[in-house]
Amino acid sequence: MGDLDFGVIERSLPYLLKGLQYTVQLTLAAALGGTIFGTLLAMARLSSFKPLALAAAGYVNLMRSLPLLLVIFWFYFLVPVLAQTVMGWERPPQIGAERSAYITFIMFEAAYFCEIMRAGIQSISRGQVGAAYAVGLTYWQAMKLVILPQAFRNMLPVLLTQSIILFQDVSLVSLLNVTDFVGAAVKIAQRDSRIVEMYLFVAIVYFILCYTLSFMVKRLQQKIAIVR
Amino acid sequence: MIEIKDVSKWYGSFQVLSHCTTHVKKGEVVVVCGPSGSGKSTLIKTVNALEPFQKGEISVDGISVGDAKTDLPKLRAKIGMVFQNFELFPHMKIRENLTIGQIKVLGRKPDEATERGLKMLDRVGLIAQKDKYPGQLSGGQQQRVAIARALSMDPIAMLFDEPTSALDPEMINEVLDVMVELAEEGMTMMCVTHEMGFARRVAHRVIFMDQGAIVEDATKDDFFGKPRSERAQLFLSKILHH
Repeated sequence: MGDLDFGVIERSLPYLLKGLQYTVQLTLAAALGGTIFGTLLAMARLSSFKPLALAAAGYVNLMRSLPLLLVIFWFYFLVPVLAQTVMGWERPPQIGAERSAYITFIMFEAAYFCEIMRAGIQSISRGQVGAAYAVGLTYWQAMKLVILPQAFRNMLPVLLTQSIILFQDVSLVSLLNVTDFVGAAVKIAQRDSRIVEMYLFVAIVYFILCYTLSFMVKRLQQKIAIVR
Repeated sequence: MIEIKDVSKWYGSFQVLSHCTTHVKKGEVVVVCGPSGSGKSTLIKTVNALEPFQKGEISVDGISVGDAKTDLPKLRAKIGMVFQNFELFPHMKIRENLTIGQIKVLGRKPDEATERGLKMLDRVGLIAQKDKYPGQLSGGQQQRVAIARALSMDPIAMLFDEPTSALDPEMINEVLDVMVELAEEGMTMMCVTHEMGFARRVAHRVIFMDQGAIVEDATKDDFFGKPRSERAQLFLSKILHH
């Protein structure tokens, strides 16, 4: 421990930043995609058409019962093989770790965002739904113009908190040898034998980012609480 | 205008409406009253299909409400409805509340919709509030905006579901005044309300409901003069003795 060399951070900064950029991109894509698909799933779960509601509930419960790491491995290693068998291809399709990570995270997060949006939709009174219909709006119009904007607003702090957790969970893709922020740090740490410096640096960056974001969500929560 | 024929409705095995038959003619004002839980709110909500029913038939302006082929949004757009809890859209300004249905359902241009909406807002005496949010208005003001929202769709009939029940006493009259004015202009109205003063003043007919059934359906004078059923007499004696 006597001879720590923090210069390694500065020397590898462009590489680390590229990793951080991937982490942020994957987080944003998963949060956005998760919100969109999660909202559709929530509408399906609340549908009066039972088969649709059951299918959505089954998907959400399955995803929420599996460890994220297992789902990541499933999509990366097993789904291409399954696709090959089902489609009768000669070789498994080459999806690639980075693209596989995007698909996995959007599908996985959709299950969690679904439950948040479901609570949000249910927080809107039946009377609002009735008023929207009474004006002559269709189901989709009532959802888009009346229910979802209010549900989204009520749930915004929870959605953002889930996104912060997602930002941390993205680090799991480094196990697929993807160069996200953690993945980049691991590679440098092993190449230059600077494990302490690199892991300390990554921890500090994660802490600063996540703590700042959490603080901002808290402020937002107070602001929303006052307006209502 | 509104024909209700032998309508029954169940929640599971519990019957909330049983064999209800009545009508509202064009230009007629019909008040529906009765003890709480008698099914009057449920009945009025079946008229624009906010509540489904299992038996019987309802038609509005000749269009069957229960028919699966009926374009419900189109039918609902013709019938204005005012709710007990106002149900303005809280995330929209007053002017947006007034125009959203006109633009999205009737396909009016934003300018035209705004002009029509603000005219109705002026009519209920709240033009100064056009850029506020519903949460910034009093209950009475919100209910008047809700009436203006319904009127700006140029409805052929209006349904009122206990429009003054959630209001503080000092705000009840400002809403009733608007309703009386509407009635006097010849609007077709079906009103669930306990305001017997309003019924006396403008109603043509009064319907009394109890336990999901229409017990009495009489002209105003008959109803207040000599109600035939004992239950209606009891109900009236309870709410009128002050």
